[in-house]
Amino acid sequence: MDTFEKRLVKLARSGDTRAFAEVVELYKDKIFHLAYRMLSNRHEAEDVVQDTFLRVYRNLDRYDANQKFSTWIYRIATNLCIDRLRKRKPVYSLDAEMNDQEGVDGYSMIPSDDRTPETYLLVSETQRMIHEAIDSLPAKYKSVMILRYLQDMSLQEISDVLDMPVTTIKTRVHRGREFLRKKLERKI
Amino acid sequence: MDCKQAVSLMHSLLDDDLEQSSALELKEHMLGCPACKEHFHQLESTEQLLYGFNHRLQTPSPDLTERILKAIPEKQKQQAAWLKWVKRHPAITVAAVFVLVMMGSALSMWNADQQMIVKGQQLDGVIIEENKVIIPNGKVVKGDLTIHNGLAEVYGDVEGNVTVVDGRIFQASTAHISGSVQQIDEAMSWIWYQITNLFSSAPSAK
Repeated sequence: MDTFEKRLVKLARSGDTRAFAEVVELYKDKIFHLAYRMLSNRHEAEDVVQDTFLRVYRNLDRYDANQKFSTWIYRIATNLCIDRLRKRKPVYSLDAEMNDQEGVDGYSMIPSDDRTPETYLLVSETQRMIHEAIDSLPAKYKSVMILRYLQDMSLQEISDVLDMPVTTIKTRVHRGREFLRKKLERKI
Repeated sequence: MDCKQAVSLMHSLLDDDLEQSSALELKEHMLGCPACKEHFHQLESTEQLLYGFNHRLQTPSPDLTERILKAIPEKQKQQAAWLKWVKRHPAITVAAVFVLVMMGSALSMWNADQQMIVKGQQLDGVIIEENKVIIPNGKVVKGDLTIHNGLAEVYGDVEGNVTVVDGRIFQASTAHISGSVQQIDEAMSWIWYQITNLFSSAPSAK
């Protein structure tokens, strides 16, 4: 599998667009799921998928063939998601009136397709709670937990993707697990 | 073993990263500690919920692949080829750029000024018209005379060299030029003239 990917990358590097299209086909769903879980927003998740492949394409020359291709692409995608989460940081109070426009408060600024459709789809109370619990994780735990449980990666793989020592990943998984345990206590 | 240690071991167990002996110790602790037993049960259930959550997956829009491939710059590969060459040969690139700039500036000096320029130490008796320089009969011009882009008509005397760049010189029978007469028409000889001028003017500046 991995040698197949490497061959594709080699072809794509030499300018073969069809080979690159195949790389996109292979990974777009996986990257989309990762981004969707991280950001809880379809639109943003698709943007991240697009940015990820653009970066992959631009940096094909710099891809080190000793590394697993999946590790490399996941690293790019995870970093893009974390960047977006950080940029979201300034959370304004929804009830506070905006200074420049009278009568406009935070509620009217929320894009209509933001989180509602997702929660709407999660019919069961349990699904909704899990979604909210994951969503409320701080970014650094969120990425680790999503890679661990929703992308089914081993601690070693996560450490490769995030470029952090395994011990750090372990600590984050433990804390993330405790965090989610407390959030989901009522459901257990 | 205290409960804090036990929790740490629980996580290691869930990571599949606990030795047999420690696992047995943990089991023993949980048998005697209902709180820890409950804690472990909750952690296990949390994991199960997370794994189960995975099955409800959304799919991206069907046109996503198309959008991605459209966004990819097509010409990039060719550009990258010469960029790579430039990166591999920095010295040659710098030299080539230097030569280009030098040639460009020399050529523009030769080409750009279509206006007539007259240079000389003493131009009192000289008549200058739109693109004509006239040294009238009976007048004496002391020192060298340089004319760019114009016609020089000499009827009088010049006590020095006359140089005409990109122009013509007309000498009447009454004309007397004590120095040499030079006409420069081509770009290359213009550059050569500049260079010889540069070297010959340096010592005379003393």
